[in-house]
Amino acid sequence: MTGLATILLALSLGLWCGGEARAITPEVQQKVVTAASKNLIEIGVSYRGDQIHFFGVNPVPGTDLIIRLTAEKDEELKLSVKGTVGPFWMTVKQYEVKGAPFMYKIHASKPIDQIISAATAQELEIGYPAIRQKMQMHLARGTAAPDDAEKVFTGLIKIKEKANLYNIVEDPKRLEVAEGKLFKHYFRFPPAASEGRYLVESFCFDQGQLVGYGKDVIEIKKVGLEHWLTDISQNQPVFFGIMAVVIAVGAGLLVGVIFGKGGHH
Amino acid sequence: MEIYLPIAGMSINFFLVIGIGGMVGFLSGLFGVGGGFLLTPLMMMIGIPPAVAAASDSNQIVAAASSGAFAHWRLGNVDFKMGLVILAGGITGGTIGVQLVKILRAMGNFEFVMKVVYVLMLGLVGSAMFVESLRTIRRSKVEAETCAIAPSEPKLAKMFSKMPLKMNFHRSGLSTSAIFPFSIGTIVGVMAALLGVGGGFIMVPAMIYIIGMPTIAAIGTDLFQIVLTSANVTLQQAFVNKTVDLLLALILLGGSTIGAQFGAMAGKRLKGEQIRILLAVIVLALTVKLFLDLVLTPDDLVSLAPAKGGGH
Repeated sequence: MTGLATILLALSLGLWCGGEARAITPEVQQKVVTAASKNLIEIGVSYRGDQIHFFGVNPVPGTDLIIRLTAEKDEELKLSVKGTVGPFWMTVKQYEVKGAPFMYKIHASKPIDQIISAATAQELEIGYPAIRQKMQMHLARGTAAPDDAEKVFTGLIKIKEKANLYNIVEDPKRLEVAEGKLFKHYFRFPPAASEGRYLVESFCFDQGQLVGYGKDVIEIKKVGLEHWLTDISQNQPVFFGIMAVVIAVGAGLLVGVIFGKGGHH
Repeated sequence: MEIYLPIAGMSINFFLVIGIGGMVGFLSGLFGVGGGFLLTPLMMMIGIPPAVAAASDSNQIVAAASSGAFAHWRLGNVDFKMGLVILAGGITGGTIGVQLVKILRAMGNFEFVMKVVYVLMLGLVGSAMFVESLRTIRRSKVEAETCAIAPSEPKLAKMFSKMPLKMNFHRSGLSTSAIFPFSIGTIVGVMAALLGVGGGFIMVPAMIYIIGMPTIAAIGTDLFQIVLTSANVTLQQAFVNKTVDLLLALILLGGSTIGAQFGAMAGKRLKGEQIRILLAVIVLALTVKLFLDLVLTPDDLVSLAPAKGGGH
């Protein structure tokens, strides 16, 4: 079934590209000149997420725009699926998932299916169906059920959307295009967006054909105390553990001295 | 004011965390118990991952118990020999417990097991406390004249003193088998790792009613073993599960220290049984909440499991 769908997709893509069965290469398109309000987000003690404004010039005025934010690397995840055991809800099976981006946001100047064909969306990995196609699931524990793939996929999207790591906005108000040429918008990076490199890619389509492409790289990194604590807790856990205990004992004794008569345990 | 917790990997309102620390500190000052068993579930309710909540709570307990332990040590209330026997159990239990956390997290059922143990433990402690304090209130009303009933003869203490591996505990003035102190230490150690509690509410009654220790020595010795058992759990959680959020622990400590001072003041104005019945009601309410979490259909049937045991 999947094989047949892939063949059909490939065929329709081939037809779309005028019979040439070759991949769309965004890099060879006209450049969409873009600028970001900043390229580095620093996670400090009072970090609560950040937002970055993007500006760009559409090389072919009046065409449609789709902007995609993804993390540079895909994640390898383990997802637990709950089910009932007697009266209780507990994890009954687990799936290992590969190929899902850690972060995935899209801003489009109008609904994606009105801009590009399903095949193009698939090829350029634009939209949730494309992610679903790319995602690989492998049952790690428990018994598989026919609706698992759907359940795990919608569950993952829900988790990600809740954390504001995924969203798709197909609204011209969210992606302002002045006189069909100059566009501006912003992406919000939630506190859950961890350290790493993120790509913001601007795709410009003329009647379904990719005619322009631009890319910005955003880096998120922890700084100062946050960087130090994360670093030692992950890389020098023995030192971190001892430090945590020593600081706790010190703080406890200090509190005892300040308040005179010991703690409350 | 938001603060970013590096290990929990989330940003949270500073005043919410310090407020919860303060509230639990107030209750522990009022009731004279550690607040670990309240703190971990409350942390989970505000969205801290369960494993990070339990491990950071253990870290906070090290701090909260150390000043008390130091004070009792200076007053000579610590039975070191007994403390070390219990501690040997506590370290064994804590080490087993941390490995258990690792396995359960990988299976995706850490939260489930944690809540089941909490429901059983809090349900038992809460009901016992509720019944006992209600009985005391009734008795004091009906028989205000009669003198208090002497504490029941610790039959269990007699039984345990006859078991093998007998040791002399000079500070507590008793000679008993090391088997029970070691075993209860182990059980409390496992719970310390699994739930992020100190376990005083189990340990102190066990020391008084089952081992037969004097109350003041039981409290002093309990604090001594809590510091070291929790320190062991904190170390192991940091090594094995990497879930200790030091920043979170320090904020909680700040809140609970201040709260405890007010709690102790308020405690002087209330009667013992009134305080206990209030605590019993709080504990039972928390039990019901956790039980409902186990049986009601969850909002999300799919959740993330830690891939390699990291905190985020």
